[in-house]
Amino acid sequence: MILARHAESLLWAGRYLERAENTSRCLNYAANSITHLRTGEATAEGEMLVRTLGLQDELEAVGPLESQPQLIAFLLSDTDNPGSVVSAVVAVRENLRTVRDRIPIELWEEANGLFLRFPFLGHANAAAGGLHEVLLMVRRACLAISGILNEGMRRDEGHAFAVLGRMLERSIFTVGLLEASHTGSRGVMDATRMLRLTSSLQAYHRQHGNAPDFDSVVRYLLHAVDLPRSVLTCLDRAEECLTGLATTAVALDRPRRKAALLRARLELGEIEEAMVAAPVPTLQDFLTQFLELASDVHTGIVPPLAMATVRSQYIRPGAAPTGGAR
Amino acid sequence: MGEPSRQQASGLLDRYQPGGAFDEAFDADGAVRGPYRRIVERFRELDIDEVKRLENLVADEFRRQGITFTVYSEEEGTERIWPMDLFPRIIAAAEWDELSRGLSQRVAALNCFLADLYNGGGQAIADGVVPRWLVVSSQGFERNAMGIRVPHSAHCNIAGIDVVRAADGRYRVLEDNLRSPSGISYVIENRAAMAKACSWLFYDHPVEPTEQYGRMLRSTLESMAPDGRDSPHIVVLTPGIFNSAYFEHAFLARSMGVELVEGRDLVVDDHTVYSRTIEGLVKVDVIYRRIDDNFLDPVAFRPDSTLGVPGLLSALRAGTLTVCNALGNGVVDDKGVYPYVPELIRYYLDEEPIIDNVPTYMMWDPDQRADALARLGELVAKPVGESGGYGVLIGPHATEQELDEARATIEADPRNWIVQELVQLSTVPSLAGDRLEPRHLDLRPFVLTGERTQVFPGGLTRVAMRRGSLIVNSSQGGGSKDTWILAPEAS
Repeated sequence: MILARHAESLLWAGRYLERAENTSRCLNYAANSITHLRTGEATAEGEMLVRTLGLQDELEAVGPLESQPQLIAFLLSDTDNPGSVVSAVVAVRENLRTVRDRIPIELWEEANGLFLRFPFLGHANAAAGGLHEVLLMVRRACLAISGILNEGMRRDEGHAFAVLGRMLERSIFTVGLLEASHTGSRGVMDATRMLRLTSSLQAYHRQHGNAPDFDSVVRYLLHAVDLPRSVLTCLDRAEECLTGLATTAVALDRPRRKAALLRARLELGEIEEAMVAAPVPTLQDFLTQFLELASDVHTGIVPPLAMATVRSQYIRPGAAPTGGAR
Repeated sequence: MGEPSRQQASGLLDRYQPGGAFDEAFDADGAVRGPYRRIVERFRELDIDEVKRLENLVADEFRRQGITFTVYSEEEGTERIWPMDLFPRIIAAAEWDELSRGLSQRVAALNCFLADLYNGGGQAIADGVVPRWLVVSSQGFERNAMGIRVPHSAHCNIAGIDVVRAADGRYRVLEDNLRSPSGISYVIENRAAMAKACSWLFYDHPVEPTEQYGRMLRSTLESMAPDGRDSPHIVVLTPGIFNSAYFEHAFLARSMGVELVEGRDLVVDDHTVYSRTIEGLVKVDVIYRRIDDNFLDPVAFRPDSTLGVPGLLSALRAGTLTVCNALGNGVVDDKGVYPYVPELIRYYLDEEPIIDNVPTYMMWDPDQRADALARLGELVAKPVGESGGYGVLIGPHATEQELDEARATIEADPRNWIVQELVQLSTVPSLAGDRLEPRHLDLRPFVLTGERTQVFPGGLTRVAMRRGSLIVNSSQGGGSKDTWILAPEAS
């Protein structure tokens, strides 16, 4: 039994933890790869990353990307950008803070420690120097938090919600990456970028050789059953979480069925088949399905409750209650 | 071999001068008191660099764990790291035994008074022990609490009684806190931090453990279930993460293994309180609330409260729920009622108080008022409804203008003021710069009452960090110390 508010906090903690890790990886890529590109290409790469992270609207509020430092500041330390690393780190801490009575102490300490170590917190502009160290620190802390989540937390509903949050966010990121990558040239560079941004390069090389082919990488990121970041793996784990939760929380049965349906469409090749004719619209539709799944989970956590009769139940001093207590 | 005197000491304790107050560690001749003999030896072996290193270790530990408190007077409510001084406060077993008997006695009498007032027809008032007008004019008196049944007549389940040791070496009660006394989590975290940073200090001190508080509290709350039902559903009700004591609320819920809820997590239906879970509504039996009466139920109390639960009072009246501490305990937190507590002990328990009050003058009594205001410069004036040291005027530290203003304020509203003799709080060695100096301190022990009464061994020792200051509240720059109750064989 878990409070609806706690379930929501843990779900969001999981989502923001994944977001912090994803954005850090994107930033690392931006810092290492974009520097070798010409100005026009660098801008296009930066825009692709923003599209992958689903931050087009947030970027529009800031203005067009004109330099690599601007991109780094936007993704690292812009507190107005909910997708920046700083925003994600703050959100992880705040969400875990509201449930610190039910999570392992070490989990809270690691999240709080990351928050306290963040040197750019509260500053509008990130200094370019030390970026690598900061990103390394974030990724290591995210891994430590994941480790505690997996090894130190009781397998209760809270754990299921945190894992569910991560899987939802990870699926959304990977499908968003595939969709954004299809707008490019679909060459070796795009294939390699997709693998780098999902930490899958080494795994792919071992399985398919070191000359990544775009379509093969897309299939790999969608279907690989042994890859933690493939969409199928994420859906499997999300469905597993929802199946356990829905046994007692009936309102979560709807998202469970939706996750099962998405998995079936993927496993039976329906997505791939549709992508042959219209890859971008298919992936956009697939992404929409994931966003709807996330929305259904939130709706399932907080079912609407009738409150209208409360005031009429007020018992005056000395008066007997009008109805027997249950 | 005799105890080493302070004149023989070197390093941190070099030039330690206790001053006029009772010093916990050194007697008037400079000899180390028994319970402190070994700890003083240990600190004499340390140099300032080592102590600073240990202090940083403790501060880092608190920072990492987010053990903080909030100071509201500062901009946007600043979160501060909990301050702890490494030199512990030590209480011998025999001394603690008497102190805990005195605390149990006081809380028992106060519980009798609250039960009498809200459920027993007010016999003490009828018998003239406490004036009716004083009770009903108290801001803490709650008419809505009348007639609400309280299991075991235990209105105060968690009490924090502030005690001080005066210059004569005797403990006195300074203040009763029977609403939502805070600080216990810091007691336990202070011990944990000390054990991590200076475990070697404990080797030759058999100190009573502190980690059992969660079990004690849970068993107390379980015994408060309505109709004595088994395995009650207990929750801790917090105002939320922005409350200054949120860390403590989360700590208590975790240490008891119960949910930490906010008002929005609860709902009342058919005079029963439920928590909103993902499985639907789950009935709640006992709420350990850390929200003041006024905010508990917007239907019955402040309508603008967003912290409470609409309809909660109806569940209390229907007897489906117990709220701990009970409604209306604020009447005995009123410092206007404090002077009557010794008489309440005699009235209800037919015993003499084991721990005295600080001599107190009631400003609504014209004779006492005239005497007290004439020598206000030697005394302490306190508003009856404040806590945390706010609004207190310490006569010897006040200017003539401040004294005149206080006299006028008291004359205009005597019901809301008491004046007390100035107690030179006892001192204990505390780190100041590069050495240990005497600093004043108090003690807040915690008394738990349900089916039975238990005194938690230890308490929150708060210490003034400035020389000569008597203000120990953390919100006003005070610090804290680990409190060691020595097991009987060691005393």
